[in-house]
Amino acid sequence: MWEQVKQALYQSTTRFVTRLATLVPGFIALLVALLISFLLAWIVGMVVRRLLSSMRFDERVSRWGLSSLAEWSPQNSPTLLVSGTIACAIVVAGFLIGIAAFNSDMTSSLVRSIVAYVPNVVGAIVVLAVGALVARYVSRSVLIGAVNLNLGYARLLSVGTRWLVMVLTIAMALVHLRIAVGIVELAFGILFGGIVFALALAVGLGSKELVTKSLERDAKRTAADTVEEPLRHL
Amino acid sequence: MEVDSVPQQAVQEIGQIDSADLVVGIIADLSQEGVAQICDALRTFPGNPRIVVLQNRLASGSTSADSVAPAQDSSLSLIPWVLHPQSSPTTPLGSVLAAYQSTLTVGARLGVRGCCVIASKLEHAPSKWVCRLTEPLLEASCDFVAPSYARRKFEGLLNSSIISPLTRSLYGLRIQNPMGPDLGISQRLFQKLLDGNQNGKTGGTGMHLLASLVPLVLCGNLQASQAYLGSRSYPPSDWTTVSSLLSEILGPIFLAMEKNAACWQRTRTSSPVKTLNEATPAPHMTETVEIDRLVNSFQLGIRDLQEIWGLVLPPASLLELRKLARLPIGQFHIPDELWVRIIYDFALAHRLRTINRDHLLRSLTPLYLGWVASYARELETAEENATEHRLERLSLAYELGKPYLVSRWRWPDRFNP
Repeated sequence: MWEQVKQALYQSTTRFVTRLATLVPGFIALLVALLISFLLAWIVGMVVRRLLSSMRFDERVSRWGLSSLAEWSPQNSPTLLVSGTIACAIVVAGFLIGIAAFNSDMTSSLVRSIVAYVPNVVGAIVVLAVGALVARYVSRSVLIGAVNLNLGYARLLSVGTRWLVMVLTIAMALVHLRIAVGIVELAFGILFGGIVFALALAVGLGSKELVTKSLERDAKRTAADTVEEPLRHL
Repeated sequence: MEVDSVPQQAVQEIGQIDSADLVVGIIADLSQEGVAQICDALRTFPGNPRIVVLQNRLASGSTSADSVAPAQDSSLSLIPWVLHPQSSPTTPLGSVLAAYQSTLTVGARLGVRGCCVIASKLEHAPSKWVCRLTEPLLEASCDFVAPSYARRKFEGLLNSSIISPLTRSLYGLRIQNPMGPDLGISQRLFQKLLDGNQNGKTGGTGMHLLASLVPLVLCGNLQASQAYLGSRSYPPSDWTTVSSLLSEILGPIFLAMEKNAACWQRTRTSSPVKTLNEATPAPHMTETVEIDRLVNSFQLGIRDLQEIWGLVLPPASLLELRKLARLPIGQFHIPDELWVRIIYDFALAHRLRTINRDHLLRSLTPLYLGWVASYARELETAEENATEHRLERLSLAYELGKPYLVSRWRWPDRFNP
C-alpha cells in the first residue's frame, strides 16, 4: 500500500518537474527577450530622442498646429512622447516574442490576436492624429473668420467646432478599435440629431424675433458700411 | 505667363498683328469717350509707334448699341477684351489681376517696347496721364513707371500703412504706389518678369507679378520713376472683405521679400525716385470715420486672437497691445514703432511658416483695423497736407525698424526680444 502511494507521489512529482522543466526554457526565453527588448528600447529611444531634438521636433509640432500633442506628452515634450512610444512598442514586441517561445496553443492564439489587432490600433492613432490636425485647422479658421466678422462669440464658436470635430474623431477611432461599436453609433446619432434639432428649435421658434432683428440690423449696417464708410483700403 | 489668360477672341485679333511698340491694357470702367481720348492721345507720340490697345468691353458696358467705337488706323489697333466672369477667381481682385497677366502676355507675343495698364478711374482726363505712364517707356529712359495720386487721408490705407513704407524700407525706393494699379513696364522689366515666372520665381498670379516689380527693379539695377496722375477714384470698401484683401495682397509681398532677402538686406537707406511731373495737393474734405467700430474690432482681436498672435509676436509687443486694448477710445493710439515691429514679425512668421499662412495674414485684420482707427483719430480733424507728414513719419519708422527685421530674419531663434 505504502509502496503504491510512494510510486504515485513519485510519478506526480516527476510529471510536475518534467512539465516545469519544459516551461523553464520558455521562461528563460521570455526573460532574455524582455532583457534584449529593454536594452534595444533604451538605445532606440535615446537615438530617436536625440534625432528629434536635433530636428527641433517640439517646435515643429507646435508650428504644425499640433500643440495639443504637447499637452498630452510627458514634460510637455512631443519628442519624449514619440521616443517613449517607440520604446514601449519595442518592449511589447519583445514580450510577445517571449510569450510565443512557450509554444503552447494558448500563447500562440493570444499573440496572433494581439498582432491582428495592431493595425486597428495604428489606424485609430492615425485617425486621432489627423482629427486633431483638422480640428485645430478648422477651429482656427472659424475663430479668425468670426473675429474678423466682429462676432462677440467667436471663441465659443471656435471651441464648439473643435470639440465637434474631436468628438467625431474619437467616435471614428473607437469604431476602428471595435470598442462598443453599436453604442458609439447610437450615441453619435442621438448627439448629432439632438444638436441639429436644438439649433432648428432655437432659430426657428425661440429666437425667431431676435434673429430677425439681428439680420435686419446686420443688413442695414452692411449697406451703410458700403455706402457711407469714407475709408478706402485698396 | 499663361496664354490661357488671354481671351480667345482677342488672341485671334492679335494673331493678325505682326509686331507693336506699345501695349495698353484698359481694365478700368471707362466710357467709350474716355477710351477714344486715350487712343487720340496715344496717336500724338512722335515717331508714329505701333500701339495695341486692349479694352475690357465688359467693364465699360460698351456692348450697347449707342456707344461710339474709337477710330482705328494703321498705327493703333483697338482690341475688345472681355474678362469672362467664370474664368475670374472669386477673390476681390481676381479679374483685375488676370487682366495684368493678359496684357503682359500680349506684350511678350508682340515684342513691344513697353506695356501700360490703366486700372483706375481718375478724376482728370485719362488722355493726359496715359501719356505720362507710357512716354518714358517709348523713350527707353525708364523701366518702371509707378503712379502717384493726390493723397486723401482715408484713401489707399493698405498701401499707406504697409505696402508703400515696407517697400521703401526694404528696397530703398520711395514710391507712393509700388503696386500700381496703373503702371508702365518696359520690355526689359517684363522680360525679367517672364523669365522669373518661367523659373518659378514669381509664381503664377497677377498679384505675384505686381509684388515682384519693385524687387526686380532694385535687384536688376533698372530705372524707376513715378508719374503724378491726379486724384484717383477708389472703389468703395466692404469691411467684410478686409481680411481677404490682406491675405491676397500681403502674401505675395512677403513671398517676394523671402525670395529677394539677399538683395534687400544690402539696402541701407532709401532715396526718392524721379517724379515726372509736379503733384498738386488734394482738396480738403471733411469726413467722419466710425472709429468705435474699428477699435471694437481691435479689442475683439486682443480678446480672442492672443493664442495665435502669441506664436507670431514677441511678448513685449503682446504686452503693449494688451495695454492699448484697455485705453479709452479717445486716447487710442498705436505707436508707429509697435506697428512696424508687428508687420516685420508677421513677415518673419510668414517666412518661417509659424502657422498656416492664410490664417496668419487673416489674423492681422484686427491689428490693421486698430492701426486705421489710430490713424483716423489722429487725422480726423487735420488738413489734407498733414497726411503727407504723417505717412512720412510712418515710413521713417519702417526704415528705423529695419535692423530689427534684419536681425530677426537672420537669427529667428537667437534674437527674440
